[in-house]
Amino acid sequence: MFPANRMKLSLVAALLCAPLAYTTAQAANINVTRNVSSLNKTMSDGVRVTFWTFSGALPAAAVEVGVYPDGTTTTDTLNLTLSMGMMTPQDSAPYNGHTIHMHGADVKTSEDGVPETYNDVNGDTYTWTPTRDMAGSYMYHCHVHTVKHLEMGMYGPLIVRPKNASGTWLNQLTHNTATAYDYVQNYVLSTVDPAYHTATGDSTVFADYNPKYYMIAGNEGKTTGAPAISLTAAKSKKVALRLIGIHSVSSTFTVKDGSGNAKPFTIYTQDGRALATPQSVTSLDISPGQRFDVIFTTPSTAGTWYPQVTYKNLRDGGTYTNGTVYGRVTF
Amino acid sequence: MTWQCRLLGRIMAAILLFAVGATEAAVRNYTLYITAGSHTINGAGGATLSAWGYSDVAGSPKIPGPVLTAYEGDTVNITVVNNHTLNHNFVIQGVTTDATAIAPGGNRVYSFTASTAGSYLYSDTLNSAINREMGLYGALLVGPADGSNKAWTNGPSYSFQRTWVIGEMDKVRWNDVAGSGGTVNTSIYKPNYFLMNGLGGFDAMGDPNTTIDGVVGTSALVRIVNGGQFSHALHFHGNHVQVLTINGVRQISPYKLVDAINIPPMGTADVLYVLNQLGEYPMHVHTAQMETANGVYLNGVATMIMMH
Ligand SMILES: [Cu+2]
Ligand SMILES: [Cu+2]
Repeated sequence: MFPANRMKLSLVAALLCAPLAYTTAQAANINVTRNVSSLNKTMSDGVRVTFWTFSGALPAAAVEVGVYPDGTTTTDTLNLTLSMGMMTPQDSAPYNGHTIHMHGADVKTSEDGVPETYNDVNGDTYTWTPTRDMAGSYMYHCHVHTVKHLEMGMYGPLIVRPKNASGTWLNQLTHNTATAYDYVQNYVLSTVDPAYHTATGDSTVFADYNPKYYMIAGNEGKTTGAPAISLTAAKSKKVALRLIGIHSVSSTFTVKDGSGNAKPFTIYTQDGRALATPQSVTSLDISPGQRFDVIFTTPSTAGTWYPQVTYKNLRDGGTYTNGTVYGRVTF
Repeated sequence: MTWQCRLLGRIMAAILLFAVGATEAAVRNYTLYITAGSHTINGAGGATLSAWGYSDVAGSPKIPGPVLTAYEGDTVNITVVNNHTLNHNFVIQGVTTDATAIAPGGNRVYSFTASTAGSYLYSDTLNSAINREMGLYGALLVGPADGSNKAWTNGPSYSFQRTWVIGEMDKVRWNDVAGSGGTVNTSIYKPNYFLMNGLGGFDAMGDPNTTIDGVVGTSALVRIVNGGQFSHALHFHGNHVQVLTINGVRQISPYKLVDAINIPPMGTADVLYVLNQLGEYPMHVHTAQMETANGVYLNGVATMIMMH
């Protein structure tokens, strides 16, 4: 463990010195800090479930880091800090403490937030400098005893978003202008098995997953009338949805109108990489750990569409009772 | 090791044959014995389960069955001997279609010409998935005719390959019951053991046939075959993988880059992991319980990626 820590210290030193070597006008250091805090949430059936969160939000607030157009050497560097000494609540050893794993970021081992590969569990700063081919959606989540800590709510969207050469955010999924959007929302998919929230250590509870609550963006949204997430858009505009799978079962995403007709949408990126050929579909399976960025265009006449996620069991893809969660886009 | 040796032989043979302008096709004979016995998951949370398996040596089951290898054009003869007390069969998905039951004490020969490079699942398709769940599944790998380190002829190259046969077992409701001659209620399946090459994660993380372990700059062709009944959503740390095939369907270059891939029950995928940076990383399933052995964290579907 010690050599890895020393390696990390020298890495931090190198980063501190680095700006002198290649100064660029627009490069940004994006410094974000999260702490650990619990959240008691009353679920749709009146049951209170305790979550562990990053800074009190379920899911945690999105973190955005920029990438620049072809021909510029500028890069943004994300320094995502989990504050030291802010580790309550936590479990006892060996699953004490917390980390942040930037899922899909492919960072150095010392930045990966995995305790089993020598990352500290008592607070740290995780650094990532994405390149322009990495525009898209990721997530950050705790990587301690993930079977529990993910379930507890320690996750949030991590977005690599294009900037122009002077450092202004672009409303595009990638630097390809075909991915321009007028509106964007993060659809974080997650599920809750309350038994996992009270079990600790290597309990046999963790051998069997029985989700009871299904969510988008931390809300249940069991009906079109009370959606988990909603958006008021204009007609004939592009709506981008970032679909981020931190759930623990299978799922299918669709966009339907009020009569249940599936509407086409286009997939531009998957797991933070642009598809060579964007794909127009009416249904998309999203598995745990996957991210997709999709765009659809609202019609020219007023109405309401319901982007929705149907959660399914891992064995035969059968849908769970009350397993569909609705979003809503009004135009 | 055997793969490399065979490969060397193939290359030398290919050079020789090329000189005389002929094509070569080997005959590969395998014998598999269907055997009842037990299978042990080591480490905390582990257990010994009743199991049935295909084995290359008569006597005790092997979970999964042995990896069978061939090259395009080879004639493959597989003799399956049923040393168990129930009917069984042997079907290579996408390759053979003979699903006839082999009676206890009987045997059957399956012959075919290996035709399309790729990774295939073989399994026992009888008895409402119980035979498969008990361990009767494995992988057939077919390489290109020239024996080269390519996923297929003129396809992507790799430095070394790994085969991940994944699956699960429900000890209490399936293995204990079927193993003692009882009737499994197949409508309920709550597996508590999740396996890579028959191993729990504690073993899989140190198993040289399972870990991706190599020098930076090399690449691993990872052949994933799901013999289980659950979807396995695998997540790679350290680098994205290139998706080369999905359920036997060759993808088109440029290959999709993903860090998470879902392998449905009886699904297959070939992915290329380029060893891009120094370090140690996990590869693990991203669904809660499947990372555990009866609830013990990381003794489920997990292995290591070691880049040096
Ligand atoms: Cu945690
Ligand atoms: Cu993750």
